[in-house]
Order: sequence, then structure tokens, then C-alpha cells
Amino acid sequence: MGALLIDQVTKSFGETQILKGIDIDIQDGEFIILVGPSGCGKSTLMNIIAGLEDATTGRLELAGRDVTDVSPKDRDIAMVFQSYALYPTMNVARNISFGLEMRKVPKEERDRVVQEVATLLQIDHLLDRKPSQLSGGQRQRVAMGRALARSPRVFLFDEPLSNLDAKLRVEMRTEIKKLHKRLGTTIVYVTHDQIEAMTLADRIAVMKDGIVQQLGTPDQIYNDPANMFVAGFMGSPPMNFIEVELENAQAVIESSSERHLLRLPQAESLALQGHSKVILGIRPEMITEPKPEDDPTYLHSIRMDFEVVEPMGADTMAIGHWNGTEVHARLSPKAGLHAGERTEIQVNTALAVIFDKNTGERIR
Amino acid sequence: MASKTQFSAGRALIYAFLLIMALLYLTPLYVMIATSFKDIEEIRSGNLLALPQDPTLYAWIKAWSSACTGSECEGLAPFFMNSVKVVVPAVLLSTIIGALNGYVLAKWRFRGSEVLFGMLLFGCFIPFQVVLLPMARLLAELGLANTVTGLVLVHVVYGLAFTTLFFRNFYVSVPTELVKAAQLDGAGFFAIFRHIFLPVSLPIFVVTIIWQFTQIWNDFLFGVVYSGPGTQPITVALNNLVNTSVGGKEYNVDMAAAVIAALPTLLVYIFAGKYFVRGLTAGAVKG
Repeated sequence: MGALLIDQVTKSFGETQILKGIDIDIQDGEFIILVGPSGCGKSTLMNIIAGLEDATTGRLELAGRDVTDVSPKDRDIAMVFQSYALYPTMNVARNISFGLEMRKVPKEERDRVVQEVATLLQIDHLLDRKPSQLSGGQRQRVAMGRALARSPRVFLFDEPLSNLDAKLRVEMRTEIKKLHKRLGTTIVYVTHDQIEAMTLADRIAVMKDGIVQQLGTPDQIYNDPANMFVAGFMGSPPMNFIEVELENAQAVIESSSERHLLRLPQAESLALQGHSKVILGIRPEMITEPKPEDDPTYLHSIRMDFEVVEPMGADTMAIGHWNGTEVHARLSPKAGLHAGERTEIQVNTALAVIFDKNTGERIR
Repeated sequence: MASKTQFSAGRALIYAFLLIMALLYLTPLYVMIATSFKDIEEIRSGNLLALPQDPTLYAWIKAWSSACTGSECEGLAPFFMNSVKVVVPAVLLSTIIGALNGYVLAKWRFRGSEVLFGMLLFGCFIPFQVVLLPMARLLAELGLANTVTGLVLVHVVYGLAFTTLFFRNFYVSVPTELVKAAQLDGAGFFAIFRHIFLPVSLPIFVVTIIWQFTQIWNDFLFGVVYSGPGTQPITVALNNLVNTSVGGKEYNVDMAAAVIAALPTLLVYIFAGKYFVRGLTAGAVKG
């Protein structure tokens, strides 16, 4: 059964349309991530799901029940806020149990739930502290505890990790993933961090300008993007986009003053559709030192001049030019790369994608 | 080291200046208190600034219980009680309503709430004189002319603009996400006020109560216009006392009466003043 159905939801503030018809069907126990740049409408959508804002048009269904006009407290939804929004005058235990208190759950039951949740999140030694006496990570846990205590049908997370330092963020990310595995509840999670999206989600909804650009598994989003925006948003460094001319449905590139033809998996449809100029999208990890074990159909040997070489430990990023456009390559540190040296590299176009030059949409 | 001595010289000048200003400011208070403990002979013959040679409580006792304020000669005591009867309910009511108003205007925006707030702000700048006549009409219509209840009503209505402004500006600094979190936790309008807002409100309550107490206690105009013979506040009685002369002018009694009238506000500042300063700056740092 579907846990949450978002049906043609729009939101306008006066003339400005923030959400332009959002459709997402979320399954029970699914971890959905809404990701996109600032101002794409993801936080507004989150507030609409919570009931803190009303949709202008459209419908929301929670476990088969229409909740479009139901007040937040009757929606069976809990939310973890970006700022944690812990009640400053209450101690941790009361923060966690406040929702139960408001719902008139008896004291013994509340104490039992607080103990259970606190043990689960390893904050049972902090129950008497005020939020101001906690570290960022501890506050984060208390905020999650407050949401967990009510065992709601759907959890909403609004950029919950963005106030933590980098190391803690990675730790809490793993922790949230474990928690989801263990509890199996439905989670809708907003972030602008594409790594969080890739690592946590069952499915990702990439949003821009109030529209879901693509809804799919992390693998679909990464390897089969619907358009240039999705392709460019996911991955770090992002996918390389090079404007190329086509010759016999092969992409023409010029590298180190040498002309090469790249064989493309989309050759057939490109030939049929009669495009002459398109955008070639290729991820940095497809431009590497020669790896003979790969399928040779789409392998090309090319020489490149790298201007910048950035060793990152596990990989080395290198930047050169094709057709006058900057191209990022991801090589092994063993390749022994030096800036300014002409290097023989291997380009694998098996996963290359082609976009329409004008609309940015995929050509398949 | 030269710069250091120069610095000290500058410092000394500043301190001297401050000291002189403080003395200038305190001299009238000193004269009042000193005079109130002198007898009338000493006042006539002695130096205004001299300490009382033979301190006596005569003037204080007379001002409190037997000085004439017009035709009555019962001192300030009954009027002191009148003021208390007006000030206590007026301060409490205007503060509580102001807190609720401020809570709504800060966190429950509705269509026109900004306009309403603007108009309330404007209310802070309406001079007393403007409302005198219409208010007199209103009190007469309500049958509250010359009553304590009427005076309380006037002070509550006039004070609301200020108390609302204080609370609104304080509550704006409380993060809105707290309200959202409490809403999702199932708390309603009053539950959120009680559990989230009230517990952080002590500083602003102190500020508002001091402000309202001082304003209403010291009020003369509303007191003189809207009170009857039995309901006059202490400020009006003080005026009557000073202007009523039976025989010669008793400066010592006038001074004692003035100090009695000013004492409650002085005491409030002395005991709650540090909260006042803290409360005024509390919103600036973090709510």
C-alpha cells in the first residue's frame, strides 16, 4: 500500500508559482529524498506534506486517507527540523515526550517510550540536560528522538545534517541509514547535498523550479539522467558536458590538437533523428588511464594535455580540454600524472549520454 | 609611559565631569529628603543644602495621615490606596493582554496583521490630550465615570500599544520552527503559548511590568480628568496637598509627600532594575 501520495500539488504565493504540479507516489517503508538547489521548492513541498502550509491546488493522501485539509497534529507525521527546533526551556526527556503529553498519553507510558527511544539513540545519559548543554550531534539525536517517540506513519527530515561539521555529518548519515533499516518507516528527506541523496535514498526526486525533473533510484539518477540539469547536479565533480558535432553518428572531439571520433551507444537513434550538433555528457570516471579489461566496443585511446592535476588520495582528478571545453578526468594515483605532460588516456563511452543542444533533454 | 599618564589625565577629566553631572542630578533629591526631615523653623532660617540639625518625622507623619488635600485633611494615605487599586489591575491586565497580542502578531500572521501592528505602533504616539474628550464620553456611556474601574480601563487601553510592541518584538526572536515543531507535536494555540513562550518570557514580563507600573503610577492627566472625589490617585492628591495652604507653606510636608508619591517607582527600579536592563537587551542576543 502507498504510504504517501502527492497528487498534482501546486503552490503559489501571489503571482509566483513555487510548485508547478508535483506527483510523487511513496511506498510504505520507502526512503525518498527530495534534492535540488535553493529555491527549487523542496522545503515548501515538505511543509505542505507536514500540513504547516496549504497547497494551492492538488491532493495529499496518507495511507489511503485524504489529508489535504487535515491539521498537522492529526496527520500522523513527525518532522526533524534543520535547526532541530528543540524546546529551549525543557530538558531532553520532556522534549522527547512533549508530543505524547499533548496527546494525553499517560505518564508511565511516556516514561517508557522516552527510555526506549533514548536507549535506541544512545542519549539516555542526557535526559536531564537542557538543549543548550548539548553538542550539535546530541541535539540532532534528541530531535530525531522527538520524532521517533510518536512512532508516526511518515518521518520528514528537513536538511537535518546541514548544521553539523563534515565528520559528524558522515557519522549521522550512516546512523540515519541504520535507523531506517531497523525501523522500516517511511521517510521523506530534504537535502541539497547530492552525496546525502545518493547514499541514503531508495528513490530520489530531483527538483528544480517547482518541477520534479526526475524521480528514480540513485542508480537511475546517476547513470540514466533525464536531462542536463539532473546529470549536472549529481556527481562530484559533475558530469562533463562537451558540445560536439556528429559525423556518421559519432562524436567529433579535438584533444591536444588531434581529431578523434567517439563511438556512441545511441548511434542508431542519432542517425535516424538527423542531429548535427549535440551535447555529449560523460562522467569523469569514464576518462581514465588505460584499463584493458573493459569491453573494447566503446573504448578510445586519446592523448590529452592536463593543465591541473589534483591528487585526492584514492583518485587523482585532472583537468584538460576537448573542443575548447574543460574536461575533468578521474585517474588512479598510480598513473603518475604530472601537469603539463601529454598523457595517453582511455575514454569509455559505453555510459555516455547525449542531450539536445537547445532543450537540454536526453536524446536516447 | 607618557601616553599612559595622558590617558589617565583624560580619564580623570571624564570622571570629574560625570561626578559633577551626577551631583547636579542628585541635588534636588537630596534637598527634598533633607528638607522633609527639618522642622519649619529650620527651613526658614537655615541653609537649603544643610543637613537637618534636629531630624524629625513630623512632616512625614503629617503628609501621610493628616495633611489637607483640599477640604479633606486625611493625608496621602487614602489616595495611596486609590493608586494601588488602579495600578495593580491595570498593570496586570495590560501586560497579559499585551503578551497574547504580541504572541499573535509575532507568530500567527494573518491577513492584515502587519497593518494592525502598524496601527498599534501609531497608538504609542497618540498624545494623552487627544483621547481625553472621546474617552470621557465613552466612560460616561459605560457608566464608569469617576470610578476605579474606569481608570483601570483607560490605562489598560492606552498601555496596550506599548505592551503589545514589547512582547511582539521579544517573541519575534523566538524561532518560528519551534512553533511548527509544537504544532506537529499536537500543541494548540494556547498550549504553544503556555509551554513554549511563557517559560522564556520572564525578562520581557519584568520590563513591561516596570514600564507600565511607572507610567500608570506617575500618571496625572488621566487621574485628574477621570477620577471622582473618592477615587483620586496619589499624583492628584499630591498636587492638591501642595496647593492647599492652611496658614504658612509647610515645605517639609510638601517634600515628604512628594517623596512618598515617588517611592514605589523608585523601589521598583531598585529591586528590579537589573532585570529591566537585561530584558531590554535580551532579544538582541538570543531569545
